[in-house]
Amino acid sequence: MRRRTRMLQDLDRDIRDHIEKETQDNIERGMPAEEARYAALRKFGNVTRVTEDTRDLWSFVWIEQLIQDVRFGLRMLRKSPGFTAIAVSTLALGIGANTAIFSMVNALLLHPYSFRNLDRMVLVWQDSGSDAALDNRYIAPADAADIATYTRIFDSMATYRCHNFALTSTADVQPVNGCGVSANFFELLGVAPALGRTFAPSEQQAGLDSVAVVGYGFWQRQLGGDQSAIGKSIQLNGHAYTVVGIMPADFNFPVPMQLWVPLALAPAERANRAQLSIQAIARLKDGVSADQARAALTGFSTRLTAMYPTSNTGRRATLIELRRELYQYTLPLFSLLQIAAGLVLLLACANLANLLFALMVGRQKQIAMRAALGASRRRLAQHFVSETIVFSLIAGIAAVFVSLWTVKLLRTSISPDWTKWVPGWSGIRVDASVLVFTIGLAVIVGAFFGLAALYHAGRVDLNQTLKEGGPGSMTRSRVRLRSALVVVQVMFALVLLVCAGLTSQGFQRLANVYAGFQPETVMKLEPVLPANSYADASKIALFYRQLLQQTSSLPGVTAAAVVDNPPASNVDSDTASFVIEGLAPPTRGETPSADLQIASSDYFRTLRIGVLSGRAFSDADNAGTPLVALVSRSMAAKFWPHADPIGQHIRLTESGAAASWLTIVGVVDDVRQNWWDTLTQPTIYQPMLQAPERGLALLLRANANPVGYVSSVRAIIRQLDSTVAIAGVSSFDHQVNDSIGIVRIMGTLMGVFGALALALSGVGVYGVLAESVAQRTREIGIRVALGARPADVRRLVLWNAMKLTGIGLAIAVPVSLGVNKAMASLVFGIVSMDFGVVAAFTAVLLLVAVAACYIPARRAMRVDPIVALRYE
Amino acid sequence: MSTKDRKERIELLQGTLDLLILRTLLLGPTHGHAIARAIEVNSDDVLQIEQGSLYPALHRLIKRGWIAVEEGTSENNRRAKFYRLTFRGRRQLAIETSKWDRLAGAIARILRPAEQGGEL
Repeated sequence: MRRRTRMLQDLDRDIRDHIEKETQDNIERGMPAEEARYAALRKFGNVTRVTEDTRDLWSFVWIEQLIQDVRFGLRMLRKSPGFTAIAVSTLALGIGANTAIFSMVNALLLHPYSFRNLDRMVLVWQDSGSDAALDNRYIAPADAADIATYTRIFDSMATYRCHNFALTSTADVQPVNGCGVSANFFELLGVAPALGRTFAPSEQQAGLDSVAVVGYGFWQRQLGGDQSAIGKSIQLNGHAYTVVGIMPADFNFPVPMQLWVPLALAPAERANRAQLSIQAIARLKDGVSADQARAALTGFSTRLTAMYPTSNTGRRATLIELRRELYQYTLPLFSLLQIAAGLVLLLACANLANLLFALMVGRQKQIAMRAALGASRRRLAQHFVSETIVFSLIAGIAAVFVSLWTVKLLRTSISPDWTKWVPGWSGIRVDASVLVFTIGLAVIVGAFFGLAALYHAGRVDLNQTLKEGGPGSMTRSRVRLRSALVVVQVMFALVLLVCAGLTSQGFQRLANVYAGFQPETVMKLEPVLPANSYADASKIALFYRQLLQQTSSLPGVTAAAVVDNPPASNVDSDTASFVIEGLAPPTRGETPSADLQIASSDYFRTLRIGVLSGRAFSDADNAGTPLVALVSRSMAAKFWPHADPIGQHIRLTESGAAASWLTIVGVVDDVRQNWWDTLTQPTIYQPMLQAPERGLALLLRANANPVGYVSSVRAIIRQLDSTVAIAGVSSFDHQVNDSIGIVRIMGTLMGVFGALALALSGVGVYGVLAESVAQRTREIGIRVALGARPADVRRLVLWNAMKLTGIGLAIAVPVSLGVNKAMASLVFGIVSMDFGVVAAFTAVLLLVAVAACYIPARRAMRVDPIVALRYE
Repeated sequence: MSTKDRKERIELLQGTLDLLILRTLLLGPTHGHAIARAIEVNSDDVLQIEQGSLYPALHRLIKRGWIAVEEGTSENNRRAKFYRLTFRGRRQLAIETSKWDRLAGAIARILRPAEQGGEL
């Protein structure tokens, strides 16, 4: 570029000199001065052209043309602000929706953990053969050690077990969540501590294991957040631990933990094959696929069974990719959202195409003129492509703002209490890759439409177009193309609306289910009983009984209960396999199973869960009386379809063959544990006094303001036992809202997409009809002149609209039903098959189409035949 | 269309003019006007070039690296641009000259098939 400037700088001087010299020569030849100068100029030729030709030689022609085109594009956009506003805003919304969803997908699905080589990580567990769909993924310690040693499929395997600790170094006893991990845990994940070190293999032995690695948040809040934290001592469950390392802020495995300690198993536990008590994560060896590894594990399980038939019969080790484990719930949701966003973009594009074609038809004369003046096809293409890219880039920039805003809204609309469990949630942002995605999308859309518009509107017959007086005309193929666009729009709109309707309806239904608990007057709190001082069942029972007695007598409290896993906890309930008395003992692998809940006697009254037949628990169901159980409605229907379950006996197989039979004394209504569960999950309830267990949650129903009771409950607990920490304090209402937050977001987003779809298709139908009425003004004029009444004209226009909409709907209705079916199976628990929704939205779209053609129809009816015939 | 026609015409002229410029500069560096004069004089005023077209041609040759330009002082003591053949330009001249000879020979043979080749 600099060379170019230098070369051109002296050109004028050179030319001047040249002409002067020639003049001089001519004078020397004897010409008069004046004539000599003219002769020199004549001989030189056109100075301007020479300058320009030379200049062209040094310039980058295409860049200059591009700037020209961009300028022209901007000028055209300014000239038709209405078109610009619609085109840019629809495209911005379309691209913005995609960007926002993509930024979620990017964070949650593509980068959930910052581990080295995430795709090679697998969770390894043992399947004990019960038919529970979502078994907790545990493995027996001795089996884990054998698998790590004798199979050649893993680079390394780490084990861990998470549980709560009580932090006793502070004035108040505080619960902290922690995890015992094997020494190679951090190395396997490929994450180095932010400060200090992780564990040495020697620290995996009891006695040497009093060291802890703490999480970033714990370091900040509890240890002052400075370097001196390393080497400090903290009291956990009454023992002193030395802090040796601090993990980086984004380390969140298995869930965001406050601290990690060595998993020091006692020799007896290390040799245990009976209890599936620890969890395992492994890194696959290079070249070993997950399927190969799974097959190897199956083979190895057979050998284990042969060697240890008593403990390992019917148990099979298997694995799942860590990524797939995460995807289980999120993938269907996000695929749905991404598809919906994609459909919105397609709709926006269809609209844009419509608008562009209309614009191009109006500009046919201009195109013809340019072609006549010598513009090559390539030059014209470049011109239109740069023009459409200009506005799609404007739309892209607008879309970045739309998505920034949406992402912020998404992130803040769910409480961090819940989102901290979603790996990658804190990484949702509009980052570089998202920006590249957005701008790339904008450019591609722009280029595509520039070319498409040129292709369809740009093939002009020069003579015909330049001769014609009208604003340009529509050829038959162009009419067909635009009609096809309307059909496609109506189709997409219906599919999207049905998706949106189903999702919102699903969310509403879910919210209604939980509203049945009347959660606004319930408070939830979890007392954390230290394991060492509450090893004895009767002591646990005593603590809860006293807690319930004292809390339920607080003024204004109407009921109090403890339960294993309250609804909307976002945690799956424990499952238990059982046998029914009188039925042949089933072969292994076919053992029936159900969710198992431990509940105190007032649980059903506290959460307003109906007792359908028989009775609820009472305080008389205690350690001294016969063992009883309640079953849920769907459990009764599944296992005793033709008999009364009351009085039947079942035995939980986990407790061994010696366990006593439980007598079923009542049937209670179904409870939807979490939003992803079906309502019909069979559930067994055992009374707390007969099956006491640490870690039950306290639920308190008050007349009003349930959270106001927290301090009194705290006082009661401190007075009962000052070593008991208190965790998970919230109003039940809050818990329900957080729990279904992700579904609410999905419902809202789908609702927005649906509304956009409706608006876009309305605009699309209107645009095409208005255009076709304008094109047919002359025809309509002739019809009116020949005696057609306004009603006939109206029918003509309406019929056109209904035809297009009808074709679109005819295709879309079966598609929507198919989508509905697919959604019902994919987004389980939320969406169910619903013909009403499909029918309702079909009607809505028809109405919108009628409304959209109202203005064009009126315009057509007012056509004055004289004006129309003079139109050209 | 006209753009294309003009291009073809220029190209035809271009090659010839380029060759003439390179040949002229073989005698030593000189300025624009002198080149034009030299071509006219050396061809016994048969080749009357439109002098202006010299400049785009000169710039094109510079861009290709066949000639170089430097500031100098002309005979009447004024600053002027002197054009000089580069090594690559010399090589190019040899190539172009032999090409031209073959072309001229071939055309001559076609035009006057009876005679013993053309003379130039």
